[in-house]
Amino acid sequence: MIVDDEADVREFAASFFRKRKIEVEVAGSGEEALTLFEKNKPGLILLDIKMSGMDGIETLEAIRKKDTQVKVIMVTGKKPEEDEACKRCEELGVEGYVHKPLELDELERIVLKELRP
Amino acid sequence: MTINYKKELETAAKSMILVHEPDVLIKMIARTIVHRIKVSHAAILLHEKDRSTYVLDISKGKVGVKIPAGFARMDTDNPLIQFFLDSKSRKIFNGGPFLLDKAEEILSGDSDDVAKELLKGAVHQIGIYESVVCVPSYFRDELLALLMLGKKSDGSAFGQDELDFFMALASDVAMAIRNAQLFRELENELEKKKRLFFNTTVALAAAIEAKDHYTHGHTNRVTSLGLEIARKMAHQNKTYADAAFMENLHVACLLHDIGKIGVPESILNKIEPLTQDEWVKIKEHPVIGVNILQSIKELDEVILGVKYHHERYDGSGYPEGLKGEQIPVIASIIAVADAFDAMTTNRVYRAAKSREVAINEIQQLSGRQFHPLIAEVFITLCREGRI
Repeated sequence: MIVDDEADVREFAASFFRKRKIEVEVAGSGEEALTLFEKNKPGLILLDIKMSGMDGIETLEAIRKKDTQVKVIMVTGKKPEEDEACKRCEELGVEGYVHKPLELDELERIVLKELRP
Repeated sequence: MTINYKKELETAAKSMILVHEPDVLIKMIARTIVHRIKVSHAAILLHEKDRSTYVLDISKGKVGVKIPAGFARMDTDNPLIQFFLDSKSRKIFNGGPFLLDKAEEILSGDSDDVAKELLKGAVHQIGIYESVVCVPSYFRDELLALLMLGKKSDGSAFGQDELDFFMALASDVAMAIRNAQLFRELENELEKKKRLFFNTTVALAAAIEAKDHYTHGHTNRVTSLGLEIARKMAHQNKTYADAAFMENLHVACLLHDIGKIGVPESILNKIEPLTQDEWVKIKEHPVIGVNILQSIKELDEVILGVKYHHERYDGSGYPEGLKGEQIPVIASIIAVADAFDAMTTNRVYRAAKSREVAINEIQQLSGRQFHPLIAEVFITLCREGRI
C-alpha cells in the first residue's frame, strides 16, 4: 500500500509497482490508509512522513495499535539522522527508509526485498 | 503536421535570452518536447554539484509515467550517468543521444570493443524511466543535465531531425544552467567583496573612535542621520540618491573623521579650550583624511565628502572656504548630520544641547553654515519624528 498526499507520487508509484507485477493500493491520507489497512491487510506499506492532516508518524502509530507485524517503509525528504521524526519511527518499528529524491532501482530493490516471502 | 524545428529552436533561443531563471527555461523546454513533438513523457534531471547527484527537476506527460519533480535522482555511480561520463562509451552514439533500440542491438551483437556491462546497466536505467531516448546536456566536458524521453505518441521512431532538435535543446539547457551558475557565482563574489569593503570601512571608523574618546558612537549616528537625509531628499526630488550615491554616502559618513588619526590625541581629548595652533591642527583633519584615502580611486566621491564636510554654505568653512553649490552635496549632508550629533552629545568641554535647541540652531544657520535645502529636509525629518 502506498500512502502519500501527493497525487502525482501515488499515481507514479502505483504504476511503477504494477508494472513489476506487484499488487498496489493507494491512500491519499492517513485516515484512508487506516480504512484500507483494515479491509485489505497489505503486506507492505510505503508511508510518506510529511503529509498534511494526519502525518506519517500519526498514521504509523495508529497502524501499530492494530498490527505490530506489518512491514512499513517510511518515505522521507530528509536523512534519518537529520529527522527527529525518524526516532519515533524507530520506537514504533519500521523496516527502513527511502529518501526523496530516490534512485528508482533502489526503490524497486527495497520493495522486492521486503515482499519476498 | 511537420514541425519547423528551426523555428522551435529560435523560439527556445529567444526565451533563453529573456528568461534568466534556468528553472523556467527548463520547464518550457520540457513542455515544448511533450506538446510539439508529442512524446508520451519527458523528464529532465539536473546536476546538483554539492551532492554529486542528478535530481529529477521536471517531468511532463502521461499520468503514471510522469515522475513527480524531486522524487527521483541518479547518483554519479548510476550506470547511465557513468555511461555519459565515460568518453569511450559515449562514442557509441557519436556524442549524440542514447538510443535504446540501438543499444539493445549492440548488446545482442558480438562486438567486443564496448563496455557491455556499463551499456547494459544504462539500458536498464532507461527502462526504469520508461524512456527510449536519453539526451545528455554538456557544458564542455561537464554533464549538467539529462533529458529522458518516452516513445512518440504515434508509435513511430524518432527521425534524425528530431534527434538533432533534442541535441540543440540540450545544449540550450546546458547554456542556460551554466549562465545561471556563472551569474550566481558572480553575484556572490560581488556581494562578498562589498561586505569585505564595508567591514573594512567600519574597522577604519572604529580606529578613529578608539583614539578620539568623545566621539564614541558618533560615526554610527552620523551615518544613520546622513542616510536618512539622503533618502528623504530622494523621496522629495529624486535627484540625489541612486544606489551608488547611497553607498558612497554610507562610506563617507563612516570615514568622515578618518583624518583625526593624524591629529595628536592630546589635542583631540583636551578638556581646556584649544589654542590657536591646536585649532590649526584640528582643522587639518579633512585634508589628512584625503591623504589617507586618495590612493583608492574608487573613492572619488567619498573623498569629496571627507574633504569638504567642514565647509560652510556662506564660504566661512574649511579647508578651502567653498561656497554654496560649490560644496559637493555629499559633504553638505554630512555637515548637517555631523553638526547635529556634535550639538546633542556631551563633550568633555561642554554638556549636550537639547534636541529642540539643536534643531533651532540648524534652522538659524540654514543658508549660513548649512545648505538651505538640506537643512530644510533635516528639519522636516525631525518634525516627522524620524530623527
